[in-house]
Amino acid sequence: MTDYLYDGTFEGFLTCVFDHYYVEKASGIYKTDTYQTSLFSSSRVVATQEEKAGKVYKAIEEKISKRDLKRVYRVFLSSDPEKENKLLSYIRLGFKEGHTVSMLHSYPIVFEVQQCEKKVMAEIGRMMGLVRFTALKRIKLGQCDREILYSLIEPDHDILELIADHFSDRMKNDPFIIYDKKRNKAIFAQSGNWYIYPFDNKELPVPGESEAEYRNLWRKYFEVIAIQERINPSCQKRFMPVRYWNNLTEMRLPGKPV
Amino acid sequence: MNTFEKIKILADGAKYDVSCSSSGVERKNNGKLGSSAAAGICHSWSADGRCISLLKILFTNNCVFDCEYCVNRRSSDISRASFEPRELANLTIEFYKRNYIEGLFLSSAVEVSPDHTADRIRSCLQILREEYGFAGYIHAKIIPGVSPEIIHQIGLMADRLSINLELPTQESLSLLAPQKKPKNIFTPMKQITQTLTERRQLKGPGNMFKNRDLYSEGDLRFLDPEGENVTQGDGSLMEMAGKALAVHKQGNRSRERFAPAGQTTQIIIGASPENDRQIIKTSEDLYRSFKMKRVYFSAYIPVSNSPLLPTPFTAPPLAREHRLYQADWLLRFYGFSADEIFDEKTPFLDLDLDPKMGWALRNIEKFPVEINKAALEELLRIPGVGTVSALRIVRQRRQSAVHFDDLKKIGVVVKRARYFITCCGRYYGGNDIVPEFIKNEALAAEKIKERLLPIDDNTQISMFNSITVQREKS
Repeated sequence: MTDYLYDGTFEGFLTCVFDHYYVEKASGIYKTDTYQTSLFSSSRVVATQEEKAGKVYKAIEEKISKRDLKRVYRVFLSSDPEKENKLLSYIRLGFKEGHTVSMLHSYPIVFEVQQCEKKVMAEIGRMMGLVRFTALKRIKLGQCDREILYSLIEPDHDILELIADHFSDRMKNDPFIIYDKKRNKAIFAQSGNWYIYPFDNKELPVPGESEAEYRNLWRKYFEVIAIQERINPSCQKRFMPVRYWNNLTEMRLPGKPV
Repeated sequence: MNTFEKIKILADGAKYDVSCSSSGVERKNNGKLGSSAAAGICHSWSADGRCISLLKILFTNNCVFDCEYCVNRRSSDISRASFEPRELANLTIEFYKRNYIEGLFLSSAVEVSPDHTADRIRSCLQILREEYGFAGYIHAKIIPGVSPEIIHQIGLMADRLSINLELPTQESLSLLAPQKKPKNIFTPMKQITQTLTERRQLKGPGNMFKNRDLYSEGDLRFLDPEGENVTQGDGSLMEMAGKALAVHKQGNRSRERFAPAGQTTQIIIGASPENDRQIIKTSEDLYRSFKMKRVYFSAYIPVSNSPLLPTPFTAPPLAREHRLYQADWLLRFYGFSADEIFDEKTPFLDLDLDPKMGWALRNIEKFPVEINKAALEELLRIPGVGTVSALRIVRQRRQSAVHFDDLKKIGVVVKRARYFITCCGRYYGGNDIVPEFIKNEALAAEKIKERLLPIDDNTQISMFNSITVQREKS
């Protein structure tokens, strides 16, 4: 049995699935850069091949279902360390059971993938709310003088591209950047189009003049809207986990400067 | 007065309105700013654990009314402020752009007259929708007594409209809110439902009208707004002269949308002596007759020294509010009626048990239910089975039988459901189905929680005595 190692891309993973069927059964699929060699198993680096990946992609779409293809992709974006192996089992079961695979809730394989997808979906929902934009100082972009909205997030899962459509539709007239600090990439969006590009936030203009004012207004609103008689911090933390607070305008972490 | 001060005063006055949902309408960007997601999006959670989705704020708190329960009543000694329409529109846009909020929830006290205030609200919404092209969510509160023309204009710009009922019976209303007349509350409610009916845009509450015609005459028994028709007796709105007034016109399906997310209302819990049965009955009737999307409950927080109200040191009835919401969900999503939730003897919900469990224990002869054979409607009535898990059970059993061990993976709360089901013919809840036994078992979980708390501050917990023994001593 051989562990397959791939480059971390979705195409790379699909190539491994292809090889699992047509070359040799994989005992596990792992990312090359985080793989720990063990004494008893051998490993093989699988080079990403678009053709093979495309075949698997199509096969999942046609032989299982479009919905499951989306599910596979979402789970692939999660940060679960075992996601590749969970997905391989799910795809194998899917090829056997067809489109009914997602209804087999009691199968441990389906259950695990379902739980994983749930976490990703939950974070997408959360992030749609928890992104906080800063209006940067107006700069000259070609002929026009634009205000760019900028946001820094640190999501658990790699959900950047899954929130891009939502924000680019909403902010059609405002160019914006959403920077994923954990993964060093960002969405750049303007007039309803967006792309994702590696990014570091070193060369950013400073916040605009009115930014501090609106932040203060928002903090005041946030403080006032809570009903003192009903204060319930554990409820608040359940919905808005502390790990996100760092990037929220209205929340203060102990020791963070005002 | 600057905007900072105004936010401080006007958000403070608006915080007792519970509704903050931004759901029920899907709108794409119109080329300028904003969109709305059907599921709604929460943007933050305040220290009391309630979600912040909309900028919930009063247009003014300068009120001519003197409702006893209200923090903004005329006789209350608080700072007063009012927004300018443009100022508030601008604030909304700046907050929206920074993704702080999903839209605006605009309520107001009555300054000068209902029409004067509503007109200013209308011009604020107009600036937002027309000048800024704002396509985010707007929830507008309608003040009792506003003229129908202004309501209509506001409805064309807002996504959701609401008129607060606040007090579920006429006695309480005339006692605590002497200037609010039942007629002034029900007339706009009726107007909104009728407009939605004419435009065939009614959505209705949850699954309550599933498989039924929402527009059928039988259910459209509108209240007669000319009469004094707030509830009496057991809280049934239907008792009043209910003429079938609604005649829906076909056609007029213009693309212009009127309050696409429907209308809601709010009832205060604990300020007046009504029991839970009356409150749930009233909400059921509001759902049936006005096809409201939601009826919200707000635990009364003492804001006044009035002798007519609970004293300022009364704790807000949060547990009661929670149980009422559970009962409300049973109405909207689980196919229960108010008469099923309460029996003759118990006008209040049991604070220890959820209302579905209470119903199941009273109707124990309907159980156990076989998971693999029961209809969806029966599955929904099992305590511990929710809408998602019921649908999953139905889907899975088409493929293969659902076994007891599968239930947890499906999402069923097995520790509650086990007493009420059989799985492939086997019962897992003990030897016999006895309501008292099940109740004790269900409450035991709560008791375990209690035991984990320190028993008595003066006694040190010993390693050798069991905690229960210590407890008996003290």
